[in-house]
Amino acid sequence: MYTPLRIDPTKALGDIAAFQRKLAAGMGHLRSMHEPEYANTPRELVYSEDKLKVWHFTGHGQAKSKTPLLIVYALVNTVWMTDLQADRSMVRNLLEQGEDVYLIDWGYPDGADRWLTLDDYINGYLDRCVDAVRKRHDLDAINLLGICQGGAFSLCYTALHADKVKNLITMVTPVDFHTPDNMLSSWCRNMDVDLFVDTMGNIPAGLMNYVYLTLKPVRLNQQKYIGLVDILDNPTELENFLRMERWIFDSPDQAGEAFRQFIKDFYQGNKLVKGTLQIGGQPVDLGMITQPVLNIFAEQDHLVPPDASRALGKHVGTTDYTQLAFKGGHIGIYVSGRAQREVPPAIHQWLAERSR
Amino acid sequence: MADPANDFIRDYQSLAQQSWDAWTRQLQQQQPQPAAANPFFTSPTAATSGNDTLERTLAGLKGYFDWMQGAALNGAAAQPVDWRQQLQQLFGGASQPFAQAFGGIDSAGAEGFARQWQSWMQAAQHGGFGDLPGAHGPTPAFGQDREQQMKQQAMAAAVLESLQASARYQALIQRSNAQAMQRLQDKLAERAEPGRQIDSLKALYDLWVDAAEEAYAEIALTDEFREVYGNMVNTQMRVRQMQQQQTEQFCQQLGMPTRSEVSSLGERLQALRREFRASQATATEDRADEIMALRRELSALKRQVANGAKVAPVVKKVASIKRSTSAVKKSVSKTPAKVRTTVAGKAKPAAASKSRPSPRKRK
Repeated sequence: MYTPLRIDPTKALGDIAAFQRKLAAGMGHLRSMHEPEYANTPRELVYSEDKLKVWHFTGHGQAKSKTPLLIVYALVNTVWMTDLQADRSMVRNLLEQGEDVYLIDWGYPDGADRWLTLDDYINGYLDRCVDAVRKRHDLDAINLLGICQGGAFSLCYTALHADKVKNLITMVTPVDFHTPDNMLSSWCRNMDVDLFVDTMGNIPAGLMNYVYLTLKPVRLNQQKYIGLVDILDNPTELENFLRMERWIFDSPDQAGEAFRQFIKDFYQGNKLVKGTLQIGGQPVDLGMITQPVLNIFAEQDHLVPPDASRALGKHVGTTDYTQLAFKGGHIGIYVSGRAQREVPPAIHQWLAERSR
Repeated sequence: MADPANDFIRDYQSLAQQSWDAWTRQLQQQQPQPAAANPFFTSPTAATSGNDTLERTLAGLKGYFDWMQGAALNGAAAQPVDWRQQLQQLFGGASQPFAQAFGGIDSAGAEGFARQWQSWMQAAQHGGFGDLPGAHGPTPAFGQDREQQMKQQAMAAAVLESLQASARYQALIQRSNAQAMQRLQDKLAERAEPGRQIDSLKALYDLWVDAAEEAYAEIALTDEFREVYGNMVNTQMRVRQMQQQQTEQFCQQLGMPTRSEVSSLGERLQALRREFRASQATATEDRADEIMALRRELSALKRQVANGAKVAPVVKKVASIKRSTSAVKKSVSKTPAKVRTTVAGKAKPAAASKSRPSPRKRK
């Protein structure tokens, strides 16, 4: 009869000693590290309003695509999610594929933005950003790439302004918010969101990050940092780690009113798939989306379960619907090496097939 | 009786602990001091450096380090016959890394929501729940301070409710903790054959993390967790709201602007911006329609003039175009004259320029 535990005490002490040695040596590197820079792909400002900016990524070559691609990310995120570091930059990769890439930078809301509604964001900001890009290219419609909550915004926008969107791409986008494996949705179902927003005003980024960490508390609060010890003596990997940390925890607060509506209508009411959602008094019908749709989701996504994204196929009105499963998680789909190899080329190919 | 092996381990642990503490202190001294700690996660080392990453790193590593030390002393050094017993020694008591990892959720996490009323929490915990004013239900208040007393009672009741909600939440976390151990045992039982055995603390730790996350995820998706979580958030928000109201009242007495007032101004400003944009859009749309209609009419007039037809009916049509704003109405009321002038000018240039002043001049 064998025992599953064969830990030699001497080896255990050796492990502790090795851990300490690595830590002591590595902390020297950690202390000498500067704040890591992001990829900073060359870009130009083409539109701004309040705290919002629309960037046009210029890159180094000439875009081959005739229709520009506007990226709409989630309000909880920052520009850097798509442009983290030189070899892990979705925008850089899309540029290299020949796409003409624009991106909405939502900025960091403060007290003055407390009353911004989803209508303000979708029919206001987003619509004016789309108009700015359309006008720049003298086009009736452009391509839209929505990520996570930005994907939900893009779906609403396309349903409401169908004539301005040529092709729609959604990435890790929640559509059905009531799948049984959606932890975030389950947690906020019994929350009195009116009381929450009335009390908090804008929702602090720190609180949002705390909630995200508690989705996988041991892995994200402890195991991740234990793994860090093994790379403390590798300046490149350490820099990559710190850059990720910078990006993950450098988050904007959430405008209170928009947060209230998003939780109520999407997470609690699941109105997007029920067909009862209204933005600015106008009904949002996913069946009105008749342009080609590419829906990319991550198979190990702990924030937006794959089923929450897959649901889109049942609700859009288009006959040209493509689904792409990525082997990775919610973060990996933007920044992992695999993502760089697989996602931007797939997006480019899909768009190219629809521009002929 | 002396036990040289265990004495050595204890000495080693003591040395390791000292060195850990030493460089932790050193690191903290090198960071900007002091800065606000992460409000939702308290480092076990109580580090309050300004470097968030370092703080989180230390918090996570310290829990692991403590566990390794405890495991080396209690579990790995001993050679029990039953591996389950050994496992209990490895993960028993204070050496459990799970408690450290969840430190950011059950205690400090709740504190994050409740930091502002920490003194209330301490008072309640110090004296026991029952000693809070109003904890046994509202007591009739009277006299000049009646309102104040009632508010204090309501606050106390809300704090008590929140503490109870947090306690229920912590109980669920503890349950997932216990279930994690059971899962770990199950996972280990599958690794009894040679080649799959766990031979390092790190491998054991990684296996435990898998078990812990699975157990937690299972509980975190239950209806019970949903109800407890929602209640915890809601009760904490009620306390916070009451505290804000008290602070506002205090500020009002001092003549200071309050958050409600600023927020109200923000709401009105946002509403005004929406109205402004809407009216701008309407005006632009109306003007565009107007211009489009006029262009069409002008083209029709040109065609008619070119064909030698009379223009009077066209003028009548132009005058009937719907006008939405007074400015538009004003300009359009003069339009027929302009149209007539233009048309007449084409037909009889010299006479028209003499007989009628241009619209601009007439203004």
